[in-house]
Amino acid sequence: MMQFRLEKRREPSRFMLYATPVAAVFLTMVIGAIIFSAIGFDGIGAVREIFLTPLTNSYKWQDLGVKAAPLIIIGVGLSIAYRANVWNIGAEGQYIMGGLAATWVALASHGSGGWWTLPAMMLAGMAGGAAYGAIPALLKTRLNVNEILTSLMLTYASVQLIYYLVRAPWKDPMGMGFPQTRRFASEALLPNIFPGTIVHAGVPIAVIVALIAWFIMSRSVFGYQMRVVGAAPHAARYGGFSENKTIWLALLVSGGLAGLAGMLEVAGPFQRMVPGFPTNYGFTAIIVAFLGRLNPLGVIFAGIVMAITFVGGEVAQTTIGLSNSATGVFQAMMLFFLLAGDILVRYRLKRVVPQTEARV
Amino acid sequence: MPNRLELRGITKQFPGVLANDHVSFAVKPGEIHALLGENGAGKSTLVKMIYGIMQPDSGEIRWNGEPVLVPNPKAARRLGIGMVFQHFSLFEALTVLENIALGMDAKIPSRELEARIREVMQTYGLLLDPHRTVATLSVGERQRIEIVRALLLNPKLLIMDEPTSVLTPQEVDQLFTVLRQLASEGCSILYISHKLHEIKALCDTATILRGGKLVDTCDPKAETSRSMAEKMIGTGLKDIIKPEGRRFGEPKLVVNGLTTRKTGDFDVPVTDVSFTVRSGEILGIAGVAGNGQNALLDALSGELKGEEREAISIDGRAIGLMDTTERRRHGLCAVPEERNGHAAVGDFSLSDNSVLTARDRLGMVMLGLINSGAANTYTGKVIADFAVKALGPAATAGSLSGGNLQKYIMGREILQKPTVLVVSQPTWGVDAGAAAAIHQALVNLATAGSAIVVISQDLDELRALSDTLAVINMGRLSASRPLGDFSVEEIGLLMGGVHGEEAA
Repeated sequence: MMQFRLEKRREPSRFMLYATPVAAVFLTMVIGAIIFSAIGFDGIGAVREIFLTPLTNSYKWQDLGVKAAPLIIIGVGLSIAYRANVWNIGAEGQYIMGGLAATWVALASHGSGGWWTLPAMMLAGMAGGAAYGAIPALLKTRLNVNEILTSLMLTYASVQLIYYLVRAPWKDPMGMGFPQTRRFASEALLPNIFPGTIVHAGVPIAVIVALIAWFIMSRSVFGYQMRVVGAAPHAARYGGFSENKTIWLALLVSGGLAGLAGMLEVAGPFQRMVPGFPTNYGFTAIIVAFLGRLNPLGVIFAGIVMAITFVGGEVAQTTIGLSNSATGVFQAMMLFFLLAGDILVRYRLKRVVPQTEARV
Repeated sequence: MPNRLELRGITKQFPGVLANDHVSFAVKPGEIHALLGENGAGKSTLVKMIYGIMQPDSGEIRWNGEPVLVPNPKAARRLGIGMVFQHFSLFEALTVLENIALGMDAKIPSRELEARIREVMQTYGLLLDPHRTVATLSVGERQRIEIVRALLLNPKLLIMDEPTSVLTPQEVDQLFTVLRQLASEGCSILYISHKLHEIKALCDTATILRGGKLVDTCDPKAETSRSMAEKMIGTGLKDIIKPEGRRFGEPKLVVNGLTTRKTGDFDVPVTDVSFTVRSGEILGIAGVAGNGQNALLDALSGELKGEEREAISIDGRAIGLMDTTERRRHGLCAVPEERNGHAAVGDFSLSDNSVLTARDRLGMVMLGLINSGAANTYTGKVIADFAVKALGPAATAGSLSGGNLQKYIMGREILQKPTVLVVSQPTWGVDAGAAAAIHQALVNLATAGSAIVVISQDLDELRALSDTLAVINMGRLSASRPLGDFSVEEIGLLMGGVHGEEAA
């Protein structure tokens, strides 16, 4: 019988570091096709519709950009926090609070807005997200409460806040009783950058955010601090970096970027605040951050891959009647294979010659 | 009578390194056999294969003349092989008895076990109360638990891995008495160490390893310490060159009534510590592990937040409230005991590791951005000046051997030309060649006018290096005096907590 053993590599393999995300996507396609065939669907067709149609059909490209933008912005923020071992799972809540803060600016300035409305909404969005990220930071640094729990639970609180606001104080008086705000005034809506498409200004902003984050993470003392606290907290303290300060920075930055994504969504595709505003971008961005190797440049590609599964999932719903949950299954499989494959970055598989029977 | 243990052509290959290359030697019944070699010579790998933790790639292990395979430690214990590790595996919150019960393969009623433990303790004079909590025991007493645990199985071969590195001289003598008694009853002992005078005093035979190969099997009593050391490192040994007639200048580091708070259940804080180190002086701080050395180093480096401004001063400036970064700016650099994860980040390149402590003193940061060119240049200089074996500044710290990483870390701090350098265990687990280089670099730094504090458990190291010496015990520091004023016995008594001589 052939036996294999895991053996630690002397240096982490750079090849495997970049090969595992690609392999994870590939394995997801293969295993996904097998599973969906086994339960009676057209498995190969499902994989084709989900992973290939969004790429081959140029009409779908603008959808990809619009879906990828918030994933990239939130994913970049999360990748910074995760580098520092700060596990912000509540980006969805920070995204919602960013959207609500921007909505507040849009509604308050309705009819009296100007060129400053969008920048003000952006600042409000970031401040809203950062403030919501500050709660887990405060609890973690003061009372040592696990940020995974607090950030996640705060998400559900923020969803209830939307329901309350759009049903009572912010409800559109002309909305025929629908629980939603009025449509934002034109100064409070994101301009389309390609006329005749749905591609809004959030798409280039996402790329710019990722590039700036990459530069800061790889070149600045701030980025160094995030990396060293995550890699070796004891060494970070020896090097003069405060752990509490790092927790604050990580949650404020990731919260602020999630809030920015919320602002771009509400001022872009949604054009008003609605109860359906939470679309799980904040949770999907967790997969994006890991698939992108916690590297802002990698997050751009991971955001696009994840957008492909969203757009493709919708295609598959209409063309082969696949349930919407199938998209979630594919996304989860991708994260699973990625994390499982990660062991090969530090370990290699080695064949061992079986030993003869023990005589003891 | 067949040999108790015989190794024939044992070979073990790890990625990139041949840890053991056809090693063969034999241990007779009742023999105390030393296994000698530098760090990385392959001693640990060899005993791990004897104890069943690893399997050899090729070669044969014979036990009482019969070839055997030892698939795991349990099988080794069944054969009659016991082992006492360098790092103890004890639960601090449990009692001696509970710890021993947890480590037994067979389930024995606790009353019966206690009777057997008391019997073993009686026979070998290993005095210990089975109902004491481990946290309250000294390191020497903890080692006794491990020895008792091994002896309960009536071993025919006892492997001791660097047993004396944490003991006071008096405890070492007690340990040797026990080992000699065991040997006289026919138990063989495989004794791993790099302390040559101990091997001369205790062992009948010494097997010397170098680079995974067996160099020599000799009679240590017929050799000199120097001749064995040279076989161990393969070249002539360099002595530390201390310039004659050095004079100490102005006080550089003054510590006055430094007290720390207890941060965890089992750590030892320091209480009312005072000392002065002058320019050009090396102060050695001796002590058994776990007597407040970590708290002292952290309090000096600034990792442990100070509460009194005047408790520490450099060049007359009170720095007691400053954080690590500010203290470095004022000229105080520190090297903690633990290399990986504390003094260096294993996953980072050496260049990035230089940024960790040298970024301010050497101007590696401009407008919040890291000047990686400056970090690379500096790291290259450290690698060249301290003969660090590394592929270059881009190699990860984790890829370096312990000794090379320590050379890099010491180089990184020394080349910053600190006013005051505080180091803990500068040559812990480092081979003799690298240790000599580190010692010489420390002496040179002192000669150039810096004040140096060396915290170490290795008395040989402190006696070779220090100008003045103080002893730490239970968080209290004895008065410092010139090295020549101390006898080894006196240092040992101070390490054990007898402060009677202080008044004299």
